[in-house]
Amino acid sequence: MTVSWRQNRLNLMAVVVLISLLALVPLLALGWDAWLGREPGTSLSLGSEGQLQLQNTVAMVLGEGVLGGVLGTAIGWLSAACDFPGRRMLRIAQLLPMAFPAYLQAASLIDWGSHQGLRINGLGWAIAMLSLANYTYVFLLSHESFSAAGHSLLDASRSLGVGPWRSFWRVALPMALPAIGAGVALSAMEVVNELGAVRLLGVPSLSAGILDRWQAEGDAAGAAVLSLVALSIVAFLVAAERLLRHRSRRWNLAGSGVSKPLWQLKGWRSVLAAGLVALPPLFALLIPALWIGSGWEALRSPGSAELLPLVWRSLGLALAATGVTLGAALLLAIVRRWSPQPLVRQLSFVAGLGYAVPGSVLALGLIVLGGPLALSPLLLLLWGYGDRFLAVSKQGLDAAFERIPPSVDEAAISLGSSWSAVLRRVHLPLLRGPVLVGGLLVFVDVVKELPLTLSLRPFDFDTLAVRVFQYASDERVGAAMAPALLIMLFGLIAASALIPSLEKR
Amino acid sequence: MVMLRRTVPLLGALLLSLAGPTAAQSQEVRVYSGRHYSSDNAIYERFTKATGIKVRLLESNDSAIVERLRSEGLNSSADVLILVDAAKLANATELGLFQPIGSAELMRDVPLSLRDPKGRWFGLTRRVRAFAVNPKLVNPASLKTYADLAKPALRGKLCLRNRASVYNQSLVADQLILRGEPATRAWIRGMVANLADEVYTSDTVMARDVARAICGVGVLNSYYVARMLSGQTGSADRDSAQKLRIIYPNPVHVNVSGAGVTRHAKNRSQAIRLIEFLTSSTAAEGFAQASFEYPLQGFGNNPILSRFGTFTPDGLSAAQLGAKAKAAVKLMADNGWQ
Repeated sequence: MTVSWRQNRLNLMAVVVLISLLALVPLLALGWDAWLGREPGTSLSLGSEGQLQLQNTVAMVLGEGVLGGVLGTAIGWLSAACDFPGRRMLRIAQLLPMAFPAYLQAASLIDWGSHQGLRINGLGWAIAMLSLANYTYVFLLSHESFSAAGHSLLDASRSLGVGPWRSFWRVALPMALPAIGAGVALSAMEVVNELGAVRLLGVPSLSAGILDRWQAEGDAAGAAVLSLVALSIVAFLVAAERLLRHRSRRWNLAGSGVSKPLWQLKGWRSVLAAGLVALPPLFALLIPALWIGSGWEALRSPGSAELLPLVWRSLGLALAATGVTLGAALLLAIVRRWSPQPLVRQLSFVAGLGYAVPGSVLALGLIVLGGPLALSPLLLLLWGYGDRFLAVSKQGLDAAFERIPPSVDEAAISLGSSWSAVLRRVHLPLLRGPVLVGGLLVFVDVVKELPLTLSLRPFDFDTLAVRVFQYASDERVGAAMAPALLIMLFGLIAASALIPSLEKR
Repeated sequence: MVMLRRTVPLLGALLLSLAGPTAAQSQEVRVYSGRHYSSDNAIYERFTKATGIKVRLLESNDSAIVERLRSEGLNSSADVLILVDAAKLANATELGLFQPIGSAELMRDVPLSLRDPKGRWFGLTRRVRAFAVNPKLVNPASLKTYADLAKPALRGKLCLRNRASVYNQSLVADQLILRGEPATRAWIRGMVANLADEVYTSDTVMARDVARAICGVGVLNSYYVARMLSGQTGSADRDSAQKLRIIYPNPVHVNVSGAGVTRHAKNRSQAIRLIEFLTSSTAAEGFAQASFEYPLQGFGNNPILSRFGTFTPDGLSAAQLGAKAKAAVKLMADNGWQ
């Protein structure tokens, strides 16, 4: 039995190495291409331009981290632990802001504002819009954690006479910190590589700087320097998240069959709670609604003959990408579980780096790689999605795995189970929530993903997001509205299919 | 896991079926295009109707398709590359992405200044960098050349698009060639000092602010104002645009969108036929009608465009503009054009 275990571990290690290599190779190809294409005399300093871009990116990360973190945690807590009118609907609605492509959100707000004589431009607006677009990460992960973790502990603290607020601060929040940290880190990474909306709002950022230096100024080396700066911000975020998680490491068996009564909010408290939870989805709907209200004359909808193929392609791609990404994330998480060696941890960290790179840069890496090898565009596209969104499904899984006490595994092994049996019979049932949430996030992310889809897709293969971009970049917000609302609808359908099933555990 | 094993091949099959027929058909031409105007499709459909050759299209942003074509090399299945902006066309030519074609029809239809002298690409449409002026704030007669934008009289009255706009980059390259670096640097600094507000990321939004007298003059491609005047973007935009006067500086900077046959084209003759069709007067009319660009020769017969009057191009070639593109971007960055 020892031999087969060692063999198993070697196989698992090989899988981790393979996944991390697949994730890293496009970036290496890009670095290589940049190195070959460098021009003599290009300076490797940030320059005043680069410093400004760095400042703005850091400001956006901090601003969004605080605003999105507080918003996501508050809504996650309220909707997981308290009951108020409209709670179920509102919880599903939290996916709306994330499902509407941020660049169209920005474009419609700017366009609407300009009709009213209001200039929507600059850092403040960027932070507000990014928080709206990305707090959902914090919400989903913290909500999952709040509803899974330690209701009995909370009950105990309440029965010991600790008030609701103090119970939240002293018990619930520390237990959910790993999940909140993971959510904030994910949303902050999204901010680091956000390009379209930030550029429309006129904020010079690192992600735009990377592309401009490279494409417009032909300075590949300078672009590589900026990419390294962006990568270090992300590495810092991931490290911070890890630290938080280690500090608050507590094992807890989720949902052990005990029914969990919610705290009933009454009177003004329930109104306040419902109001706060409803705020972000309302804003997300309000922006396109305002635009449609003032710009309805310019509203154009392509016929269903044009829209249907777009829909099928978007859905097909998103489903395939979700499968690929979830599979890879699960494998990585399992290996980390069984072989908690530093090398495995580092490799699995590397594998998540694709999320830190702006999509347009990753796309270039895959182009540089895929062209000479004549790889099929669809294969490249799936590779790109997997690389880019691995971190999305991985973060939640890692955090959730850490809540399962190792004693469970040990018990299963001592009873003669192999790792795959432990996975099938113990881990997967316990991880159903995080896996579903991870899958949902990847699905929605892929449906609205733009730079990879735009640059890697085959001939005659437009998707909803591509069509939104084509119209929006031609400054035709009215024509972009119909496909964008469809993307939002899919996010909503996916959320309503998944979120209730999270409850039934 | 079992479920996963079953669904993955299924999804693969689904994706393949979505991509449509992939077998090479004899009568088709594959196009990489940096243009994305929904109206272009109508013109490709007319081509298919006239010739029976099917157009397969991949529209993306310029830099991505250039990079893709470059790295695909021999493996590429693209036959035609369409790009917007002279500098980008020149860059693609320099990278060796096009092959020369000797078509008498193309040589006749496309003026020398709007094509590669060696026949590697041919212009399709012209777009003109113009001034949108609000006569309440600025006397239109006081603006005759691009140099006038830096005059102190315009302090706090000028609106510009950002540096990322390729049309601004090519305009600066144009001025670099015509007026030299010191004058262009001073011109950029003068304009930056004249700005009424931070640079814009959208031409339409900027045009509205000129109409609202937040600034007196904005620098843009005239087709955005033409589109507003047409009512396509709503009656409020039409009313705004009616408050604007379009001024073409003399001489004016003309930018092009153009097409060439890729070096490793598999359907070369079909590709040439497509480009011949796109540069012919029938297609030119289609382009100009739908996207309010100017045809290669003359000023078209679009009633909205004819309101803007005529212009005299400065005659610089795309190769000249392309050679100065990087220097132009650097000059803009170094002198405060955000």
